[in-house]
Amino acid sequence: MIYEKEKRYIIPFTDVPSSRAEMPEISVDERRGNFTEVETGFPEAVAVQEAKRCLSCRRCLGCGLCLAEDNEDSIDFNIPGEELNLEFDEVIITKGQDNAFHPIKPELGFDVYADVITDLQFERMLSPNGPTGGLVVSPLNGEIPGRIAIVQGSSNEEDEKHLFSSLVLGVNESILALDKTQDLEVALISPVCQSFKEKFSSDAEQISSLGIIEGIPESVERKGEEGPLSLTYSTGGQNKTEDFDLLVVLTKEKISPEIMELSRKLDQEIQ
Amino acid sequence: MCTGRVDPAIIAKAFKKGLDGLIIVGCFIGECHYVSGNIQAKAKIDMTRRLLKHIGLNENRLSFQHCSSGEATRFVEIVNEFDKTIHELGPIGGESDRVKGPELFRKLEAAEAVLAGEKMRWVIGKKTEFLEKGNFYGEVFTEHEFNRAIDMIIVEETEVQEILGKLKEGVQSVKALAGSLAIPSERVFRYINALKRKEMVQLETVSGRSPLYKVIPQGV
Amino acid sequence: MKDKKMLIVGGGLEGVGAALENADKGADVTIIEKFADLGAERIPRDRLIKPGEGFVKPDLEKLRNQSNVKVLPYSDIKKISRDNDKIQTRIVKHSLLVDNSKSSEATKVGIKVCPVNMYDDFDEGLSFRTAFDYYNSETGNYNIYKEDMPACQRGCPINLDIRLYAGLIADGRYAESLAKIREKLPIPGSIGRICPHPCETACNRQYLDEPISICFLKRFVADVEINEGIEPDYETPEQKYSEKIAIIGAGPSGLSCAHDLARMGYENIKIFEALPVPGGFLQVGIPEYRLPKKLLGREVALIEKMGVEIQYNTRIGKDIAFEDLKKEYDAVFIAAGCHKGLKLRCPGEDDFEGIIDCVTFLRDQALGNIKDVKGKLIVIGGGNAAIDSARVGWRMGYDEVYILYRRTKKEMPANPWEVDAAEHEGVKFQFLAAPVEILGENGKVTGIKCVKMELGEPDASGRRRPVPVEGSEYVIDAETIVGALSQGTDLSFLPADHEFKLTRRDTFEVDEETGATNLPGVFAGGDVATGPDIAIRAVAGGKLGALGIHKYLRSK
Repeated sequence: MIYEKEKRYIIPFTDVPSSRAEMPEISVDERRGNFTEVETGFPEAVAVQEAKRCLSCRRCLGCGLCLAEDNEDSIDFNIPGEELNLEFDEVIITKGQDNAFHPIKPELGFDVYADVITDLQFERMLSPNGPTGGLVVSPLNGEIPGRIAIVQGSSNEEDEKHLFSSLVLGVNESILALDKTQDLEVALISPVCQSFKEKFSSDAEQISSLGIIEGIPESVERKGEEGPLSLTYSTGGQNKTEDFDLLVVLTKEKISPEIMELSRKLDQEIQ
Repeated sequence: MCTGRVDPAIIAKAFKKGLDGLIIVGCFIGECHYVSGNIQAKAKIDMTRRLLKHIGLNENRLSFQHCSSGEATRFVEIVNEFDKTIHELGPIGGESDRVKGPELFRKLEAAEAVLAGEKMRWVIGKKTEFLEKGNFYGEVFTEHEFNRAIDMIIVEETEVQEILGKLKEGVQSVKALAGSLAIPSERVFRYINALKRKEMVQLETVSGRSPLYKVIPQGV
Repeated sequence: MKDKKMLIVGGGLEGVGAALENADKGADVTIIEKFADLGAERIPRDRLIKPGEGFVKPDLEKLRNQSNVKVLPYSDIKKISRDNDKIQTRIVKHSLLVDNSKSSEATKVGIKVCPVNMYDDFDEGLSFRTAFDYYNSETGNYNIYKEDMPACQRGCPINLDIRLYAGLIADGRYAESLAKIREKLPIPGSIGRICPHPCETACNRQYLDEPISICFLKRFVADVEINEGIEPDYETPEQKYSEKIAIIGAGPSGLSCAHDLARMGYENIKIFEALPVPGGFLQVGIPEYRLPKKLLGREVALIEKMGVEIQYNTRIGKDIAFEDLKKEYDAVFIAAGCHKGLKLRCPGEDDFEGIIDCVTFLRDQALGNIKDVKGKLIVIGGGNAAIDSARVGWRMGYDEVYILYRRTKKEMPANPWEVDAAEHEGVKFQFLAAPVEILGENGKVTGIKCVKMELGEPDASGRRRPVPVEGSEYVIDAETIVGALSQGTDLSFLPADHEFKLTRRDTFEVDEETGATNLPGVFAGGDVATGPDIAIRAVAGGKLGALGIHKYLRSK
């Protein structure tokens, strides 16, 4: 399978209905005491409309325009794949480059607000090779944020190990962001701040310059139509609400199903 | 001149200059002196109508009719009919168009750039081949699949051309572009990143909290 | 360590690290990655960084220069198994369509002109990229991104070309659309009515609004043919094969296997069916109101027209010995399904008349063998067979119909639209209730003792495990009780001393690429190999078997 991420970029076409066609059925009264088929089938016009809803998903169109740009030497659309039968003495399974993650707590507005992003997206943004060339900006409007919050994103009770390593990533990301951006404030909100500070007590000086808050994020709302994100989090038994220009959620990685299957088949751990 | 030679970019240009309607009359399908000239014309004009509709122009302002050289009466009928339609539609950018002037004229400028661009020309030129013989992978397209591919190019290329058009007026931030173009700002952000990757746009400077972008002129 | 052959799965930081480490020790390393490029840079997650440093990069340069490392990017493991201390693999390496050693300035222009726009996966969707582009911005190796198939097609167990047949319907070319479907699926009208459509679950349109109604589109083109009175023509190839092939069971798997073999040119195909009617579970498991049997019969008749013979009322193991079948035929395909209803395993179950498993209940109803319909019907279970039994019971005229399920509506494995339909029709649900004992008098069922449940911790399936509430037992009166827990295989047609390799669930162990069992010339597919599953996967099993049989017979 040639890999494709789940979140596909889709253009809304406006010439077809957005909801799917409903199957017409005979009424409940007509069903009692007999076995007449319940669903009566799409009328022709409905079927054609429904078929037109198909996006005809396709990546390369095979139009050959790239080839026409003087690339006959380097491009060939019809190089066949290769099948190899190989024998090994040992296998090491690693998690690969999927970067899939467990669902994010819906209240945090990921997928609703374009300025709520994952730690993985933030990581790419911080890279000089990344989409913004290392510039920290809000994907909502391209502006440089003044206040960023980095929070724990999963909705379930978590294992300590995950909370810890994701906080380390969050801290590292804020170190890089602060280094690259002027007049930036970063708040890190995590339920394991205390133990984190204890473990990294030798780096106390570096950590003290970061705003680390022991707490759990509760919900996110947009203030007005174009306003900042308003984040509510619980800390010390109380709820607090603050405004931010960018929210980064720390994700819990999810191993891809094919790697899980491989691990199960060979009865071997993932490294 | 054969209708197959009508350049779609000229159509957009004509509307941009304020024309209220445009009718193209050519030979009947199957009676083309150049075998497939009017089939090509139909593909091009269909696609142009889709594009014009997408940017908010009433697509009935563009009409493609067939009439042979001996049918003077039919020709008069066709023209009168079209004349009536245009009178009903009123002036361009008015009541009958989804987008009003001067916004419509700015969009027509982008449309002209899309139609003059090689992506659109190339893919439209491939229509017969895609539907009959298939693409480079041998996939034969249905009309619907082909239209979807074209729609995708229409939507995206129009937005890209609008962005480039704005940037040609001077450096701009993503926020300012989105504000003046009615394209969702998160999409503008991604287009700008993609245009940087294509070396068509670059970061010029950062003013306050706004990174400003500039167009890189493209060689021919 | 020296010359040890190692496979590293995954070309991320960890994979490249492991490859280099083992290569240094002298191992012969192959590293496989499904993406077009290896090695993304990452921010460390196990230690704090200092300002000024940041990303950790795998040493790809070193990897490429290491003579004992072989890199397989853009590759998938098709098959892997452990076999006597060795690991056998079949790997498919997709080709990069761009030869990066020959790329030039013109190659760069390619990304400007490519008309396709998509999310940049590598940058987590923060940018767009074109289909002709590089994947990892750091290595900058160009590739053309061509999907092997769209998401819907990949979701379909038989990989129907949905994009094409939907496009043909959109263009009004219904007959061509149906012909395209029939190339792979001989029973489109039936599947188009009852398939739980994994294709729609995969449909990309759901990320925009709602998935396309793919399944019913298939039904639409099949119905058009019937309504217009068109008799389709199947073409079988000129090259004919005379080997004799026996198929056990005329269900979706057996029929599909026969159809595919007939299309390949096999002329002597005989299906043995225990019942007097074809279709297997489609005939006697899926009720008439979901799938009219006349329609199913027509689709079977079309397969028969291709020269496939079906011998009814013939039970293998009783009317013909399995061993004789094996001797007489060049290949045997077992598609006997899962027609044994599992027991409730509670006291009283075997003591009274009026308790029946759902498989028998639905079959007897379908064959017209149930005469005595009165009183209250209770169905126990939460799967599709339970819903079918209840909706059938409601139609047959039972006074009241109940479904008893030990979890809640949310956990029901049945298709949600079927549950809604049952509710709509007036079937009553008792959630969080489990049977404790079947009650009866004078040899007849009079009711059922139940216990209330509550949901505890999630179990292996991820659903919360129901736990009985102590002292909450209660009794419901009932005249008929249908147990619809699950179905299993009935392998009584095999001789007692058969040598088949079976799984723990008493299903056949088959080769995933050919459907072959451990006995040469004997293949198996459908529910008898997978356990109870959806019809379209049974069709897939039949098609796999046909390919396996063809390969086997042609290499003999």
